[in-house]
Amino acid sequence: MSEYLGQVRAIVWKDLILEFRTRERVAAMGAFAVLAAVLFNYAIDRTAVRPQTIASGLIWMTIVFGGLLGIGRTFHLEHEDGALQGVLMTSAPKDAIFLGKTLANFLLLYLVAIIVVAVFTLFFGLDLGPRLDLLAAVIALGALGFVALGTLFSAVSSGTRMGETLLPILVFPLLLPMVVYGTQATGRILAARPAAEVTANLRMLTAFALVAMATGAGLFRYVVEE
Amino acid sequence: MSTAPSAAPAAPPRTAEAVLEAVDIVRVFGAVVAVGGIDLALSEGSFLTIFGPNGAGKTSLLRVLAGGLRPTRGEVRIRGKKLDFGDGEWRRRIGVLSHQGFLYGHLTVEENLRFYGTLFGLTDLSERVPMRLEEVGLADRAAFEVRQLSHGMRQRVALARALLHDPDVVLLDEPYTGLDPYAAAVLRNVLVALKDGRRTVVMVTHNLTEGLNLADRVAIQVAGRIAWEGTRSELVVDSFERFYHRVVEEAP
Repeated sequence: MSEYLGQVRAIVWKDLILEFRTRERVAAMGAFAVLAAVLFNYAIDRTAVRPQTIASGLIWMTIVFGGLLGIGRTFHLEHEDGALQGVLMTSAPKDAIFLGKTLANFLLLYLVAIIVVAVFTLFFGLDLGPRLDLLAAVIALGALGFVALGTLFSAVSSGTRMGETLLPILVFPLLLPMVVYGTQATGRILAARPAAEVTANLRMLTAFALVAMATGAGLFRYVVEE
Repeated sequence: MSTAPSAAPAAPPRTAEAVLEAVDIVRVFGAVVAVGGIDLALSEGSFLTIFGPNGAGKTSLLRVLAGGLRPTRGEVRIRGKKLDFGDGEWRRRIGVLSHQGFLYGHLTVEENLRFYGTLFGLTDLSERVPMRLEEVGLADRAAFEVRQLSHGMRQRVALARALLHDPDVVLLDEPYTGLDPYAAAVLRNVLVALKDGRRTVVMVTHNLTEGLNLADRVAIQVAGRIAWEGTRSELVVDSFERFYHRVVEEAP
């Protein structure tokens, strides 16, 4: 078990070091998030709608679109010099490789999600109130399910010529539960509704994350095998 | 060679103690048959060099032997145990040096080796990594990012990576490609050291001289099949090139 965890940790560490040195993905995702928030800010007629009432949907759509920019490049550096092939020929189990890459993507996406929420809070005058912990949990669970599916389908699309176009087509339909329950939960938290009203959404997001992780871990070996 | 060996394909010697066996390996890509039914049986300590023209399917064969490519038909055995091409301890027995280095350009030399070592479950990396770098003459480059190194140095790092986990079976795909004479000499020294009687090596190369000097068995692969196989003692360097061309031209 400790060897398995060491292998997962090695993949996470390697992906984070590579990101720290190349800044390929977080920079693109972060810049997209800030620009999207700025554009949404000017696109809304504040005399017709209250920004706070639609902020939750915009936050999640920004996370999804921005996230795909980065997750779509999960295997980009792996293909340089055939590194992915080398990793697959080690004795590390394929699910450990998947888990490592998913966790690294999760950390990067969570960082971007924090930036998204901070920027929307600033532009839309949101009051995150006393339920910041609940909001953190909602975003974490949604992001976990998102990156699990995103990592799996990024492996599918990375080997194809139309990879970056293919990824959203494959992933968007599967993200519906995350968008629906994440948006509902975030809207209720921003409206300062009682925590009990968010519990059902949290359960659904937990189920979504678990199913996405299990599916990804189970199917990854078939996706990367030639 | 005192008398020219026959250009007819020879059946591989089958021994009970074969470390690496390939049985009727076929690999098809769409309509292209890359490997068309190859049998190999290598005992402990043997060094097989496979020559062949471009497109002969040598790399595909090596990838199948390495467990990186599932064959369309046939099976690979290591010490009699059939590979299932999934995860497993058997992967620790195989080291692969491809013409791609499998290295991350933005990681340092040491970070690359530590990363691969951890994936192989090695725990003595603090001693093992410097030792391997010393063997390939790159101890002073441990802190360099791989992208800062020349092709020859990268190939030596890749060799250190391939041997890091001390595999029983070493598979080398065109290791001499693009190397300067110094890097080629370093590689030759490391490969000679591999002939310690306990490792089984398969090398694919176009470099006839280096390939012959290291081998104790030689095969010539043409159009996905072994067109000739024999022992090194049947051949001499001076006339091998002519013999090689004859085998390639006469192969069906």
